[in-house]
Amino acid sequence: MNRSIALPGAPQGVPESVPPFDVDAQSAQPEDAENVRVPDAVLALPRTRKSRWPARLDLLQSLSGLFLALFLVAHMFFVSSILLGNDAFYTVARFFEAGWLFGTPKPLVVSGVVAVVLAIFVLHAWLALRKFPANFKQYRMFAAHKSRLRHGDTKLWWVQLWTGFALFFLGTVHLYGMLTQPELIGPFESADRIWTGRMWPLYLVLLFAVEIHGSVGLYRLALKWGWFEGRNPDASRRRLRVAKTCFSLFFLTLGLVTLLAYMRLGAAHADRAGERYVPAVVVGNLATEN
Amino acid sequence: MRIIYTDVLVVGGGLAGLRAAVGARRRGHEAIILSLVPPKRSHSAAAQGGMQASLGNTVKGQGDNEDVHFEDTVRGSDWGCDQDVARLFVHTAPQAVRELAAWGVPWNRVKAGPREVVMDGQRVTLTESDAAHGLIAARDFGGTKKWRTCYVSDGTGHAMLYAVSDQAVAERIPVHERTEAIALIHEGGRCHGAVVRDLVTGELSAYVAKATCIATGGFGRIYRVTSNALINEGIGAAIALETGAAQLANMEAVQFHPTTIFPAGILVTEGCRGDGGLLKDVHGHRFMPDYEPEKKELASRDVVSRRMEEHIRAGHGVKTRFGEHLWLDIRLLGRAHIEGKLREVKEISQHFLGIDPAVDMIPVRPAQHYSMGGIRTDAAGQARGLAGLFACGEAACWDLHGFNRLGGNSVAETVVAGMIVGEKIADFVESSAGDLHVSTALVREFLEREQAKLDTLLHGNGNENAAELMGRMQEIMTDKVGIFRRGDWLQAAVDELQALLVRSRDIGIGTKRAGSNPELVTAYRVQKMLKLALCVAYGALQRTESRGAHFREDYPRRDDAGWLKRTLATWSDEGQTLPTLDYEALDVTRMELPPGWRGYGAKNAIEHPATATRDAEIAAIRSAFGHADRYTLQHALMPFDHLVPEAFRGRNARFGDETP
Amino acid sequence: MPAATTPGAPRVLTLRILRSSPTEGTEPRWEDFQVEEAEGMTLFLALSEIRERQSPSLQFDFVCRAGICGSCGMLIDGKPGLACRSLTRDLGSVITLAPLPVFELIGDLSVNTGKWMRGTAERLETWIHSQSEPDLTAVEPRMEPELAEAIYELDRCIECGCCVAGCGTVHMRDEFVGAVGLNKIARFRLDPRDVRSDDDFYELIGDDTGVFGCMSLLGCHDVCPKGLPLQTQIAFLRRKMVTVGFK
Ligand SMILES: Cc1cc2nc3c(=O)[nH]c(=O)nc-3n(C[C@H](O)[C@H](O)[C@H](O)COP(=O)(O)OP(=O)(O)OC[C@H]3O[C@@H](n4cnc5c(N)ncnc54)[C@H](O)[C@@H]3O)c2cc1C
Ligand code: HEM
Ligand code: HEM
Ligand code: SF4
Ligand code: F3S
Ligand code: FES
Repeated sequence: MNRSIALPGAPQGVPESVPPFDVDAQSAQPEDAENVRVPDAVLALPRTRKSRWPARLDLLQSLSGLFLALFLVAHMFFVSSILLGNDAFYTVARFFEAGWLFGTPKPLVVSGVVAVVLAIFVLHAWLALRKFPANFKQYRMFAAHKSRLRHGDTKLWWVQLWTGFALFFLGTVHLYGMLTQPELIGPFESADRIWTGRMWPLYLVLLFAVEIHGSVGLYRLALKWGWFEGRNPDASRRRLRVAKTCFSLFFLTLGLVTLLAYMRLGAAHADRAGERYVPAVVVGNLATEN
Repeated sequence: MRIIYTDVLVVGGGLAGLRAAVGARRRGHEAIILSLVPPKRSHSAAAQGGMQASLGNTVKGQGDNEDVHFEDTVRGSDWGCDQDVARLFVHTAPQAVRELAAWGVPWNRVKAGPREVVMDGQRVTLTESDAAHGLIAARDFGGTKKWRTCYVSDGTGHAMLYAVSDQAVAERIPVHERTEAIALIHEGGRCHGAVVRDLVTGELSAYVAKATCIATGGFGRIYRVTSNALINEGIGAAIALETGAAQLANMEAVQFHPTTIFPAGILVTEGCRGDGGLLKDVHGHRFMPDYEPEKKELASRDVVSRRMEEHIRAGHGVKTRFGEHLWLDIRLLGRAHIEGKLREVKEISQHFLGIDPAVDMIPVRPAQHYSMGGIRTDAAGQARGLAGLFACGEAACWDLHGFNRLGGNSVAETVVAGMIVGEKIADFVESSAGDLHVSTALVREFLEREQAKLDTLLHGNGNENAAELMGRMQEIMTDKVGIFRRGDWLQAAVDELQALLVRSRDIGIGTKRAGSNPELVTAYRVQKMLKLALCVAYGALQRTESRGAHFREDYPRRDDAGWLKRTLATWSDEGQTLPTLDYEALDVTRMELPPGWRGYGAKNAIEHPATATRDAEIAAIRSAFGHADRYTLQHALMPFDHLVPEAFRGRNARFGDETP
Repeated sequence: MPAATTPGAPRVLTLRILRSSPTEGTEPRWEDFQVEEAEGMTLFLALSEIRERQSPSLQFDFVCRAGICGSCGMLIDGKPGLACRSLTRDLGSVITLAPLPVFELIGDLSVNTGKWMRGTAERLETWIHSQSEPDLTAVEPRMEPELAEAIYELDRCIECGCCVAGCGTVHMRDEFVGAVGLNKIARFRLDPRDVRSDDDFYELIGDDTGVFGCMSLLGCHDVCPKGLPLQTQIAFLRRKMVTVGFK
């Protein structure tokens, strides 16, 4: 096969307009040479259509992670309302039973919320599982690589892997509890569960796992999608790392203090474990009635 | 016995080889490329500064065209080049740049408006026209009248090599990486391919081809101090020499680059000086204007290198433990420029010297840089003396560069030659001359012969140490066949190299492994490299004149009367210890630009008897064609169009040209 | 190194090299070599000296010895880097050297990065796709100077393979393209001379062996000897490819 390239003899002159500087523009070539034969190499555009799912799943993984992380932020604030007093936490807990909407509190609403969170949790876990080492060989390869390279962000992923793995179990237990006994959320109820029900070791581990996993996750999200890159991405990355550490420390402290508060309350309430909490306003009302 | 058949075998995956292979492939022929390393690691990647082509887009390039480029090239070559080839080259170079642009090379572009540059130590403002905005820019390089060197920051060769290499992938041309051609298969003046060693397994195979093209680059590694890559050992040229039929030309024409960092020998681009960098001595004095008031730092390379060595000899060098050096000062270009347009220079300074060139001066000294000599070919790239063998790029002596190559003309040559030779190879393969008549008996004979040589090295009872011979050869070349040459030194070099060659027949090696075995590789290569070294040293000894980069202290004048000729070396008998030298006279009566003064350096040449006549002839033609356009005039002076492949015959349009 | 602690005396370096010869089927093992440090010594110089004086069979790949060709990537104290431009003075007195992982091992410190890179080029079609042959004699189409520089910025990759060796994902899943490949797509995407659209690029990298397989470990970014902006390029591509995912 012989291909000859016929080139027009006369020069073409100066193109008139200067194409705008647009990085995204996929402007076509000038259409000057018509009688030219196109070699194999020149145009071999893909012909098939690849599944769009990998793109969607990738986004979904991030969205679910982001949701869970943001949820956890709010969750920590709600749970730590116990620090403001039993009534504060009681109010928050009842708030979620939507009594203000239905007239009477409906714990089922909480179950509903938990179910949604659980679904997202499971979704996230399922998506993340795709990234897990698929077999022992892969696991070993990564582990060896990580210890050889001694590289911060690679280690962080390893942390995420293990914390995620832990969350898989711990989170499930916690969520199951919340799902099935939504009415047992309250200052005494929670404190009893934590102390008398011996849940505190689980919460302690869960707390560390989730805060570390979440903050690393948020940090990774920023890098992954190029948020806050700014003019100097390397400097931004250093700042993000600081932010990530602060985030972890803040929520760990808050969580520990809160957990301690529950434990003390639980210990103080141990002899009356199982008793439901009656808020001070109500107690006050009862007292005046007597 | 493994035999691989193909239409075209290209030995070498640098710019020249890749482009030639793409050319042949696009004409519909099967091609295979051999390379010691993955093609993108070829030394073409190291070219930092740029590629010359007369586009004339920048304000300082305005008025540039083929004629100006031609003159610069011929003067630069000190009239040693083949003027037909120079014409062919300057005509095709703009097309090469434009083709590369279409293939994705991100050439730096002209930006309309004023811009500060450093020229001759001064800050000057240049204003680029709006009409040129977005066209391919050019920088200044030594030895040129116009700013003509197209560039991609200081990674020009890299960007070019990647673009061309990717085209080879696009054309699905197989590259057999980590293979080495160690002998050419030939008989009766016809080349049939090569015996090839797999550098990983050690296995020998025969590649049988209608046309074989050698594009193996330079042979700088016969020197100790060189800017060349470690793989630039010239084996391609050596195996052509060993056929006894092909010729190596002008091997004594070796270029030394003025600025390689001291002592590592790593090049910092000529672009440093082109962009305004200065050379300084131990006292911080800028000395080049003292020697070359006109061109200063931007005189051609041979001149600058020599002046630097001269200045060091006069006692103005900076003395260190490793020897003496001078300074390259680019601080005045400013940090922004250095970190943008001279980034490789910055990285090199940082990684190899631990300095910041925006703050510190760079220690430099000349080092071997480029081999003008190589396999002698005609304008079509067809090797003399061996049909079916082609050569292009630095490995060839197509003879574009004569005795000194201009900076930026070499990567341009690789691509231009690749374009032209690719077409010519295709023509050859399509013609009846390209038909393959080779017996497997012949192939077997060559394979067995080469295998026997390797076996002798591996299992013979030689006791010479290959690395030691190699080291010694490199010392001799750097010390005695360097920038300044003298009869007595050259004679000593030739004598000792001959002795080394004899010793090299008796090499023994410790590692017996047949596969990947660096010791074995050094052993067979040094045997070949010594032959090249002898061609260089012996050629230099015989050439009793100074021309371009070849400078004889005992014969400091250019002697056109006696030496306007090309040295041709052949090696027909394995038992020889010296090449057979022949000479091919250059035809002054056909020259478009008869010998004269280069415009820099000494003005003391011994005139060729035919020069005056030819000058008069040219004057007559010029006055007769006074009103004709420059193409017509040029045609009258020295027609070359017949040498241009059909595909590249059109006239180059330039911005600002009135369209005819 | 008790032997060489006299002040002023040059250090004696121990190079601990992972030796192997797959063609001969020998198991990898560590071997120590001692060299006296010299001023401005790079690993290239140290290794060449070892090969010349102590172990002529030692395999490694240096071509340009100037940090521009990408041949000499290896693990230097566990980190991928270019040996030719690593000054020994920046390293401890015991230096461990191992071949780059992931790539096919040739022997000692030599690996076949070329094969991998050619595979990447074929797989990702890393060449300008255009619809017509250029007219070589005509004035070239224009390009904004800033755009040309931006393309070069991404074109600077020397295919050394350090990013691949530094990526945990590739270690687990060898079909993952790695940062070098993603960067190439980013480079061609930026180039207006390439007519391919994001839909076309999606066909090449729109799955978990492509951009969605990257777990943002950024080892690539941190080891790249050319300082390519891999982090931002991969993030950028991810955004673009996700957009395609919803088309
Ligand atoms: C540091 C440096 C900077 C330079 N800068 C510039 C510049 O700015 N401008 C300019 O114009 N020029 C420059 N040059 C010169 C220019 O780069 C080279 O002359 C040119 O690139 C040579 O290209 P080539 O294709 O002929 O050979 P190379 O690029 O050297 O390629 C040779 C190829 O041959 C292969 N090979 C060799 N031997 C064998 C064998 N026996 N078997 C199989 N394969 C083999 C190799 O693997 C390689 O692929 C520079 C040179 C150096 C050293
Ligand atoms: C079963 C429980 C969980 C498992 C197994 C798990 C696992 C993982 C893994 C392996 C990753 C890394 C994915 C990657 O590199 O591409 C990840 C990312 C992430 N996780 Fe989890 N996780 C779990 C629960 C949570 C929870 C409760 C949160 C909320 C705090 C969370 C927040 C995140 C975030 C924000 C990311 C980053 C998302 C991304 O990279 O796209 N995860 N998770
Ligand atoms: C809608 C879903 C959820 C509800 C309603 C909920 C509710 C609560 C409540 C009421 C407590 C107080 C202790 C108790 O009563 O047992 C608590 C504590 C805690 N929850 Fe949740 N939770 C939810 C989801 C999650 C998830 C997804 C995680 C993480 C995987 C999580 C992690 C924790 C932790 C770590 C604590 C201990 C807090 C501390 O140490 O102070 N929770 N949660
Ligand atoms: S991206 Fe960087 S590390 Fe990766 S191959 Fe290119 S230059 Fe090497
Ligand atoms: S290290 Fe690997 S996972 Fe992505 S960010 Fe770099 S390619
Ligand atoms: S040898 Fe070329 S990069 Fe190190």
